[in-house]
Amino acid sequence: MSRVPFYLKERLEEIHKRMLYEKYETQKLPVWERITLTWIVLFSFWVVITANTSLDNLIIGGIATLIIASFMRDMLMEDVRHRGHLIEKIIYFLLLYAPQYLIIMAFRLIESNMKVAKNVIFMDIKPGIIKIKTDLHSDTGVTILANSITLTPGTLTLDVSKKLGETYLYVHWIYAETLNREKAGEKIKGDIEEWLKRIFW
Amino acid sequence: MVEENLLVTPFGWGVLILIFTSILLTYRVLFGPTLPDRIVGLNTITTKVVIIIAILSVIGRRYFLVDLAVVLLMVNAVGGLILAKYLERRGKG
Amino acid sequence: MIEYLLLAFGEIAMIFGALGILRFPDVYTRLHAATKCDTGGAMTILLALIIYTDASIFIKLKLLVLAFLIALINPMISHAIAKGAYKYGIKPKVVVDMYAWDNP
Repeated sequence: MSRVPFYLKERLEEIHKRMLYEKYETQKLPVWERITLTWIVLFSFWVVITANTSLDNLIIGGIATLIIASFMRDMLMEDVRHRGHLIEKIIYFLLLYAPQYLIIMAFRLIESNMKVAKNVIFMDIKPGIIKIKTDLHSDTGVTILANSITLTPGTLTLDVSKKLGETYLYVHWIYAETLNREKAGEKIKGDIEEWLKRIFW
Repeated sequence: MVEENLLVTPFGWGVLILIFTSILLTYRVLFGPTLPDRIVGLNTITTKVVIIIAILSVIGRRYFLVDLAVVLLMVNAVGGLILAKYLERRGKG
Repeated sequence: MIEYLLLAFGEIAMIFGALGILRFPDVYTRLHAATKCDTGGAMTILLALIIYTDASIFIKLKLLVLAFLIALINPMISHAIAKGAYKYGIKPKVVVDMYAWDNP
């Protein structure tokens, strides 16, 4: 793609963006599902924060969060993949995906704490900034992937760039083992990307 | 039942260790070679203060302090983002 | 018993994070120590508090929400500061810098 002249590049980028947008439109959730998912998240947050289960409080919270969810429906649930019925989606998320992710991240977090302690004691660092490619395209998915990369051992996300419909991440690695893009991507991302591709597009 | 002495549980000793690490980090805030070093030190100290407030609220059974910890954490997030934006702006001009 | 083990792990992680911020050579490696050790230590200490306390279920849920917010907010601020420090003009001490190749 680097041999393409400069005036063609913008055109190509536009076409790619339009294709991506059309594909995305066919994958978007229906309106009532987005409203319901956002309402569930907001209402559970309301109940936890107010710590009050009287009937008046529940009714007031339900109405207020429904009004907020009806016009904020595109902010939180825009990027969720279109698959299965609503109840099926909620059950899969609560029983399968969330515990899997939590267990993976808990062990990675403990391992990264031990690794930082080892680095502090022995000071065996060889830092480098590596560029890797991801298959995720949505904003929420890339954000969660960047946060997970920051919490895994030895890596820190610097920046995200999107060019020609592909997403690249710049990662500061505290012990740069390889400079090859595919090998570094496999070593850094691990199985988190496979997990995230099931929920976000 | 509010316990007067802080050091009867291991969590009280934990508060003391957290205060000690915050004092260690004050060196980075005061004598940091560049501006981002000081910001890193301040953010870390604020996270430790949030944990100290949560531990004190559970030890002393004053549970309204948990809300205060949540609010302090959110203020920390907004402050960190504004300082990062300031660094980015100032580098350009 | 298990809450004291979790508490000890969190305190040790916090101490090593502070030592890392004091010892590492430049801003980016200091951010490594700050983010990982702070998030891990804070979450383990909050889990210990949830197991230890005998308050109602809502207080435990509030502490869980606090741990979730720490896990969400801390890495976000960390890479905001990393990008800001790079744009501010601080050169990292690295063996290879692919970010400078693409943004001259």
